[in-house]
Amino acid sequence: MASIYLLIPLSIFLVGLAIWAFFWAVNQGQFEDLDGPSRLALEEDQPLSEDAKPRPD
Amino acid sequence: MTTDTANANRWLLDGHWSSESGGEAHAVFNAEGMHCANCARSIYSALHRLHGIRRADVNVVNSRVSVTWDPKEIKLGTILSAVGQLGFRPIPLVGEAAVLAQRNERRGALKRIGLAALGSMQVMMYAGGLYAGAYQGIDPSMAEALRIACFVMATPVLWYSGWPILRGGLGDLRRRVLGMDVTVSLALLLAYFASVFNMLRGSGEVYFDSVTMFILFLSIGRFFEMKGRHQAANITDALARALPSEVRRVSAEDGTSEKIPLSDVRRGDHLAIGSQQIIPVDGQVLHGYALVDESLITGESLPQRREVGDTLLGGSINCGSALTLQVTQNPADSTLHSLVRLLERAQSERPRLGLAAERAASWFVLRVLLATAAVAILWIIIDPSRAFHAVLAVLVAACPCALSLATPVAIASATSRLARMGVLVMHSDAIEGLAQIDTIMLDKTGTVTAGEPAVIHTEIIRSPHALSTAEALGIAAALEAGSSHPLAHAFTPHADSRIRCADAKEIPGEGVCAQLENTRWILGRAAFIQTELSINVDSPLDDYTSVWLASDSGALVRFTLADGIRPEATETMQSLRQLGLRLELASGDRPASVQHVANSLGLDTALAEQTPADKLAHLKVLQSASARRVLMVGDGVNDGPVLAAADVSMAMGRGSSLAHAAADLLLLRESLSPLPDSIRLARRTLKIIRQNLRWAAAYNFTALPIAALGLMPPWVAAIGMSLSSLLVVFNARRLAADQIREA
Repeated sequence: MASIYLLIPLSIFLVGLAIWAFFWAVNQGQFEDLDGPSRLALEEDQPLSEDAKPRPD
Repeated sequence: MTTDTANANRWLLDGHWSSESGGEAHAVFNAEGMHCANCARSIYSALHRLHGIRRADVNVVNSRVSVTWDPKEIKLGTILSAVGQLGFRPIPLVGEAAVLAQRNERRGALKRIGLAALGSMQVMMYAGGLYAGAYQGIDPSMAEALRIACFVMATPVLWYSGWPILRGGLGDLRRRVLGMDVTVSLALLLAYFASVFNMLRGSGEVYFDSVTMFILFLSIGRFFEMKGRHQAANITDALARALPSEVRRVSAEDGTSEKIPLSDVRRGDHLAIGSQQIIPVDGQVLHGYALVDESLITGESLPQRREVGDTLLGGSINCGSALTLQVTQNPADSTLHSLVRLLERAQSERPRLGLAAERAASWFVLRVLLATAAVAILWIIIDPSRAFHAVLAVLVAACPCALSLATPVAIASATSRLARMGVLVMHSDAIEGLAQIDTIMLDKTGTVTAGEPAVIHTEIIRSPHALSTAEALGIAAALEAGSSHPLAHAFTPHADSRIRCADAKEIPGEGVCAQLENTRWILGRAAFIQTELSINVDSPLDDYTSVWLASDSGALVRFTLADGIRPEATETMQSLRQLGLRLELASGDRPASVQHVANSLGLDTALAEQTPADKLAHLKVLQSASARRVLMVGDGVNDGPVLAAADVSMAMGRGSSLAHAAADLLLLRESLSPLPDSIRLARRTLKIIRQNLRWAAAYNFTALPIAALGLMPPWVAAIGMSLSSLLVVFNARRLAADQIREA
């Protein structure tokens, strides 16, 4: 059971790592849009920009 | 010139130029006209010569000046004019600070939730060991190790994730008000320090798990509350951010272009708008056609096609190729600016419902604290060892978080949902009012009707060559093709490309005549037809709703013109009636046309020839004699007093007319169709608020006695209180979902 004295600090260290990764991701703007991506898959394709379309004449 | 510039820009200034904190004011602005390091240096040294400037930074690359000063010693105006005297024009970076602040708040909240989530999971795991140990026996040194581990994880959660709560509690105390943050902070700190004490002592209970979990659930609740708040504020921010500080003006004569500040744009200017750029002011398409995204303004998500002469709304995004527009409104009157100002005004007000809830919560907190004290004293007399447990449980269980969240979250969700439907909530009480109406009073012109004449009936009286209705309309359209008379537009939709007439002659105020395949056609009022063709038209000569078409071969057609009913009106009125609403029409127009509209829409009452004063009197009778709650829908311009007197008012409008609208709600797309859904949503909102309040009160009142009796461990109280808050938040968030079922 003595291993617990190693495992507890280790778990704290790992959680610290996870927290650091999460903060990093937040600062990188990973969570800026929480609603958009879930709908993106259902959206119609955006119409082509007018430049990309063939001219009617 | 700069003081003038500053004055001219006053409408942009407030809240966007500067921010103050800790006795220092700070502003960032563009210095238009700065090109080189020398310019930067001259601004720099000029600013530093001023008394009261703490710091000034000039960035030559993006021509931004950042100043920090002491607001007691110097005013922003002085600083701006100092920059102006050097020949540079200060231009505000609209909305940027607000957007940045919102982003930081969001990120901060996410980090707090993340830390609290990871931390509480971890603490729970260690606490699990401690609970198991309490039953099965545990080595004291191992228990101590677990307690220390709990402490290590709980400490950052309390001081980082829980900081806004603690700060809120402290702020409440300083302002001598009792908010719910006070009880929550008290519970958190008590639990935390008692645990620390027990940890150091090496025996007794630790409540680190309750502390972290409580903070986690509170942070989640607040995150959703913040999201709702941001969504409402986002409309303003998105609009404000949308403004470019300078635009490219194209000379109408030689096609050369120059960059000018947005504030210098005047009506009639031609502006070049690049692809994917914001259209800064209201204007018209000059050439070709435009594809614009108007979602910022109207909520309409699909790109719209606009032809030559069509209106482009300031704030929409040009998603087609580059275009040139002619400015039709002064920038300050432009749709975008009107909306920004209106929304800012609206958001500075607090809803009556919310205020009532806040007062109730404050009243509640005082009693909770008194009850806690009583519980503490009683338990100390009965059994001091259980006193702390009970006090903690009471504090947590009695937290009126759910109670005070119930209303604002629901209103915020409903507001953002309404905005997506194209209905802007200008007064936060409007949703409550809208839910309670039982009568709708509609204005006719511009509201139920499009405000433009249309042919509503064609009667062929005589026709030697079997003229069809469509042919008659086609001929009339051909005759009127070159006319600028307002009534001429009524025929435009009926134009037939096969029928053309070359030499239509217009007699202003009378009618048009033209030769068409050997036949002479005349279109105009009865009197005009009679004098021109000397035939007898059987009609009163002063009938202004009829236009006659006659030919020298003896044809005679009568067109009845009226303001055309909006295409969606019939369906909308039907749904409104299904909602159990009484529909009334009040118009200044003549009885015939008002009756026509009322009949075709199946309205309950139609009042014609009403002056605004008549309408107001009628409204008062409805409100007092019949005790009805009335929604007035008008175009927002002529109906000011009536709109103001109604229980709730809704205005329809675009462009500068919006700014004058004194309405509680604005219909942004020129269409009545969001009306039934908004009323359904408002009713549902009120229902959900009541549900929320009932649930929150029920929770508090059942949990309190149980906790006071010492039957509820603090961690159960924490879960209960957090779940009740979350329930309230999620219940309210249902309003923001896209589906609206029957209220």
